[in-house]
Amino acid sequence: MIAYLLKRLFLFIPTLLAVSLIAFGLSRLTPGDPVLHYLVTNPFETSISTPQALQQAEKRYRQAAETLGQDKPAFYFSVKAKAWPDTLHRIIPRDRRETLEKLIARYGNWEQIEAWHQELRQLQLKSLSLPDSLDASLVSFKVPLLELAAAWREAHLASLLSEMQKALDKDPVLAEALGQDFSELKQRFEAVRGKATPGLLRIPSLRWHGTDNQYHHWLFSFLRGDLGVSLYDRRPVADKVAPALFWTLVLNLSALALAFLLAVPLGVWSAARQGSRFDQLTSLGLFMLYSLPAFWVGTLLLVFFTTREYGMNIFPGPGLGYLPAGLTWWEQIGRAAPHLILPVICLSYPALAYISRQARGGMAEVLRQDFIRTARAKGLPEQLVIWRHGFRNALFPLITMAAGVFPAIVAGSVTIEFIFNIPGMGWLSYHAIFSKDWPVVFSVLMLGGVLTIAGLLVADILYALADPRVKLDKA
Amino acid sequence: MSNKANKTMEMQGTAAIWPGTTAPQHRLAGVIWQRFRRHRPARWSARVLLLLAMVALLGDFIANEKPLYCQLEGRHYFPVLRQYAVDAGLASWEARFFQKSWREQPYEVVLFPPIPYSAGTIDSANSGCKSPFTTQNTASWRYRHWLGTDRLGHDIAAGMIAGTRVALLVGLIAMSIATLAGILLGALAGYFREGELRVTRIRLLLNLVAFFLAWFYGIETQRFDLAEAAENGNAAAAWLRIFATVAGIFLLANLLARQLERRGWPFLGKRLSLFPDLWVMRLVEVLDAIPGLLLLLAFLAVVQKSSVYYVMVVIGLLRWTGIARYMRAELLKVRNLAYIEAARAMGFSTRRILFRHALPNAIGPVLISVSFGIAAAILLESSLSFLGLGVAAEGTSWGKILSDARENPAAWWLAVFPGGAIFLTVTAFNLIGEGLTRAYSPE
Repeated sequence: MIAYLLKRLFLFIPTLLAVSLIAFGLSRLTPGDPVLHYLVTNPFETSISTPQALQQAEKRYRQAAETLGQDKPAFYFSVKAKAWPDTLHRIIPRDRRETLEKLIARYGNWEQIEAWHQELRQLQLKSLSLPDSLDASLVSFKVPLLELAAAWREAHLASLLSEMQKALDKDPVLAEALGQDFSELKQRFEAVRGKATPGLLRIPSLRWHGTDNQYHHWLFSFLRGDLGVSLYDRRPVADKVAPALFWTLVLNLSALALAFLLAVPLGVWSAARQGSRFDQLTSLGLFMLYSLPAFWVGTLLLVFFTTREYGMNIFPGPGLGYLPAGLTWWEQIGRAAPHLILPVICLSYPALAYISRQARGGMAEVLRQDFIRTARAKGLPEQLVIWRHGFRNALFPLITMAAGVFPAIVAGSVTIEFIFNIPGMGWLSYHAIFSKDWPVVFSVLMLGGVLTIAGLLVADILYALADPRVKLDKA
Repeated sequence: MSNKANKTMEMQGTAAIWPGTTAPQHRLAGVIWQRFRRHRPARWSARVLLLLAMVALLGDFIANEKPLYCQLEGRHYFPVLRQYAVDAGLASWEARFFQKSWREQPYEVVLFPPIPYSAGTIDSANSGCKSPFTTQNTASWRYRHWLGTDRLGHDIAAGMIAGTRVALLVGLIAMSIATLAGILLGALAGYFREGELRVTRIRLLLNLVAFFLAWFYGIETQRFDLAEAAENGNAAAAWLRIFATVAGIFLLANLLARQLERRGWPFLGKRLSLFPDLWVMRLVEVLDAIPGLLLLLAFLAVVQKSSVYYVMVVIGLLRWTGIARYMRAELLKVRNLAYIEAARAMGFSTRRILFRHALPNAIGPVLISVSFGIAAAILLESSLSFLGLGVAAEGTSWGKILSDARENPAAWWLAVFPGGAIFLTVTAFNLIGEGLTRAYSPE
């Protein structure tokens, strides 16, 4: 059995790697700059009036990017056209980098583009160091200059440059201060345009970045138990996930326990009275229950039983109520219990319907077997036949099912937690996805993967324990 | 055999006997249909679905702010029909239709649809959630909001009809994608289980190279063109070019491989097993290990513009695993049956055996899984729009109307009607799945 478990665990490694790759890939594809997200205020958007301030902002950004590892290459290798430099990831901020990427994709001459980029920054710094007395004409020069940093279409660039030229022509003082740099900039733009090498864009080249990359650091710190820092409020992800997991577990486990307690007897009884009115009615009822969308029932319960509109506000409103700090887990559950009743109902009834259907099916199958007939023939009381002979054999599919709900538990029920405002895993991941808080999303997805796999393993073991015929080594 | 089975069936009246997979396909389908029809809930569900499909198809003629027919200054118009032509770019509206709303035109003769509102029409006189039973501020009973209005004054009945189309489209398109992927991958895994899918080393090598090149020329170098095309709103052409590049590269690689295989090289010509079962099942495991709704949410966070079509595609790409499992299990059974062996012995090509003999016999039970899958897809879409995702801001869906009920607890009609519609549709598809299960299982 140990050998079997080891083999299974070994097979799960690629699965987990794939899950991590999917999560990482999604985080890379999402638009938006995580560094700016982390910094809360965009350092470049605050009014920068001196070259020192610009350098300060750049430094702040660079430091944040280093903390988050955003200044590293994304993955172990990359496949890019030959025209691309292999150090592009060092250019930060992200929107500047993306503009340059678009220029490369068009002209394919990094050398010239880099020169253009350098000169642009030079000019920006210089224009900031000019005295304020030049104000009026300086504004008409600076506005296109700022826009230039994000421009990449040829027509757009040319029109911005000519706008700046006009501003220079109007003001000789300005022309004296910046004229030389500006003509240099124009020359470099011409160079980018004139020395375009689009051919290089068609030659693939594979680059190796080594293990000092974002994915590697991310994955290995996860394996070490370091889930990173939330981009949203800079709290450690583990501190956010732990209470969320706690509430989700409380919610889902009680729902599951309730569902099993009700569903198993129901399923077994209706299988024992197959074809009777009781069986038909419960079958139909459970089927309807199964199709009843939980988020609808949740909304209805919330609307009718927690608001004053209909005079039936028996239950407290959404949320967990006030939970002062310093309570033990049990005290917290006790305080929040009235808030948990409705969500638990919403979570348990679909499971109830599903489990009792399975239980009925499994039981009906077992009751058709010869040994049941034998048991009846030897005059055992019906209760004994059903529960001791029948039920024990119908138990196995229920075990697999109990283990199969693990991913659902980890994810929480997003909609139910959303409706009742329960800060569980579903609620957390919903908000994390919307605020692009990728460290949290990544952790939730990975935890989901790990726990699913654990659930499957537990099911296997339970199966072997419950049924002595199962020999895992031969499976 | 099947003749005998049919006779017995006639004799016994109700109890049909499973004729076995050797029955001719048309016969089998007939038997299944007979049994399916005998299950009353399934029959009723089929009728309900037919009705819903009609509502979805003819929705524009049932609920629309434009008249079905009108006469203006002696000219005849069919505005609802004409809208289709306008959408297709074949016609345009005269200026007068922009100057006044459809309700206020000086018609000589006019015939409005039964519900004279579109899903997007805002009736500001009845904003702020008017109940179906209170007095509404309308000109006559003809303009009454039979199912009430929402906070902005949208007609709920019109929204429900527009939502029918969204729900059925999601179920249909998402599950078409899922079924296609599921059947293909499941069949691959089930039929070629023990490494019977063998390719030469040279073909494998060329395909790997092709994969690399397709990635580079198909995606990496066209990335920016695609982004720009999407900004200008003609992404379709860019996607088509990408698809053509990728398909062309793989086609070339395989044509080349075919030529080279003929040379009979000793090393590169050697055949390797591909173990599709292993790969496909790993993929299924990965997709099943991630909580579905979360993955869906994450995918939708990547595409900025929310559109119900993205939702369909993403649901389709995530929900094929169940069908693939089913298909695989079914083919594992079928491939060992005598008639497949016979077909192999007769020297039929693998492709012919797979597509003409094995797949048709395994496909029936997959229908069950598809039917349940449609129910799940509709449920998933409505939970997404309930969470405020998927359907674009101006679009309507059942889940979206339902989500308004959370903010307006007094407006029970915002919760009851759309939820009831979701329930009805989901139940209908589930009951059909159940009916198919009964029809296919001997019991």
